[in-house]
Amino acid sequence: MSAQTIADLQQEFMAHVLDDTSALPEGWTGRHAQGLAIYRNAYRARLVDALRGTYERTAKWVGEDAFRRAAAHHLITCPPCSWTLDDAGNGFADTLELLFADDPEVAELAWLEAAMHRCFVAADAQPVDGPAFAEATGRYNENDWARLRFKFVPGMEVRRVDHDIVALWRLLGDGIGEAGKCASGAGQYCAVWRDGFKPVFMLTDTHEGEALCMMLGGQTFGEVCAHLVGVTGEGEGVAQAGAILANWLRNGLIAGLA
Amino acid sequence: MSAIEPFSGYGLGLRRDHYRDFEAGRVPVDFVEVISENFMVDGGNPLRILEHVRADLPVAMHGVSMSIGSAHGLDRDYLDALNRLVRRIEPLWVSDHLCWTRTSAHNSHDLLPMPYTHQALDLVCDNIDHAQNTLSRPMLFENPSSYLTFPEDEMTEWEFISAMAMRTGCYLLLDVNNIYVSAHNHGFSAETYLAGLPMDRVRQIHLAGHTDGEIKIDTHDQPVCDEVWQLYAKTRDMTGPVAVMIERDDAIPPLPELLAELDAAREFDGACPAMAGA
Repeated sequence: MSAQTIADLQQEFMAHVLDDTSALPEGWTGRHAQGLAIYRNAYRARLVDALRGTYERTAKWVGEDAFRRAAAHHLITCPPCSWTLDDAGNGFADTLELLFADDPEVAELAWLEAAMHRCFVAADAQPVDGPAFAEATGRYNENDWARLRFKFVPGMEVRRVDHDIVALWRLLGDGIGEAGKCASGAGQYCAVWRDGFKPVFMLTDTHEGEALCMMLGGQTFGEVCAHLVGVTGEGEGVAQAGAILANWLRNGLIAGLA
Repeated sequence: MSAIEPFSGYGLGLRRDHYRDFEAGRVPVDFVEVISENFMVDGGNPLRILEHVRADLPVAMHGVSMSIGSAHGLDRDYLDALNRLVRRIEPLWVSDHLCWTRTSAHNSHDLLPMPYTHQALDLVCDNIDHAQNTLSRPMLFENPSSYLTFPEDEMTEWEFISAMAMRTGCYLLLDVNNIYVSAHNHGFSAETYLAGLPMDRVRQIHLAGHTDGEIKIDTHDQPVCDEVWQLYAKTRDMTGPVAVMIERDDAIPPLPELLAELDAAREFDGACPAMAGA
């Protein structure tokens, strides 16, 4: 058997693990089929359990059976390719959004759980506190402030949410039976980051959420101020920018200045 | 390539269920084993706990994703991440399984069986050389449990493993339950298997439970059964000082139950002539 043949054998074996409808290789017996079924079951069980572990609340929200069907569907459409099981959930929030299009809370909840999971093992960083920030920016002139960019703490993510995701998170975490529809929190943003070693999240209003998205995307504090002035007026915009920055410092979102 | 000196002791896996006990230093073991991939991350609490535990105890790193039998070679990103963890932890040793887990396109996250052919042996030895050179140290490889064999096989599993160890200088992690499971599933003698291995290369032993059936499955979710204990006693007659651990990955019981199983291993060794006075 050449190395190429071993590659072919592994390719064929993998195809059988991923899909139980393909025909057995030539020369294989019923005993081989039994063994192959064990590998296939182990593959599916491990991956579904991994998704179940990451998306615990989402599974509660949609129901265990529906969740397992969605997980099985995801494994067929997006079989894992990375060495780490953590990546097996990549794209699963999108799969859920498609499969549960009539239940828009699902997409937001799945995103939140995935973001919390990613954040859990993000690189460690010491956030900049108020006094350190004041010292670093004490001699800033107007141009320095306008050009200021932030390095946010590793693992931080933000997205717009249209439902009361905080209430949903708490409700599902308590394990209390059937959850009703959650009240709409349209136009809010949800930010996920790690406070010490604990993943946390907060809801922000539209302006703070947009500011976070802009600066996470690499825009400057000056551009954020201009945006806020544009939507709220000169005095209010500058005041909001200051309040937002104070909130970020208080919550430990900023790891450095750039 | 340096040698791995024998280490004699009894250990457990560092699992999330028992993080608090290990962190508090309440676990009377000689070493801990970690699943390498669980700690091949950028930061966060798992790494903090591992470093805390490492300050007090030797750590063996045990991987499940190296895919040493992959016809497509080793994953460079994986090796780099593993190497970073090795530098950070300075483990007793680094181990993985004689198996493959991935093709160029997909990863099964399962330990899939190798065909035992001469060409497969060449491929595995090349991959082991690559891994050991990257990590600058010899590794241990664990005998797998398997649920099928290939019509193309040209040698037994123990012949394959012996040749692999001789050619690459790697060491062995002997999973006694895996020998028992595969012997049942494929109809060979576990004693013949043991007699065919280079026991001087064994540095660690795994003990675990399995699920019974027409085909036995290595599930790591039950206590070690009597038959595996008997095979363990025979194994210990043949090995020198080794690190012995109870491996439990599912239905993980309270710590005292695992420690009781570890005590049972100590008792077996106390009764083992080769170990008397060791």
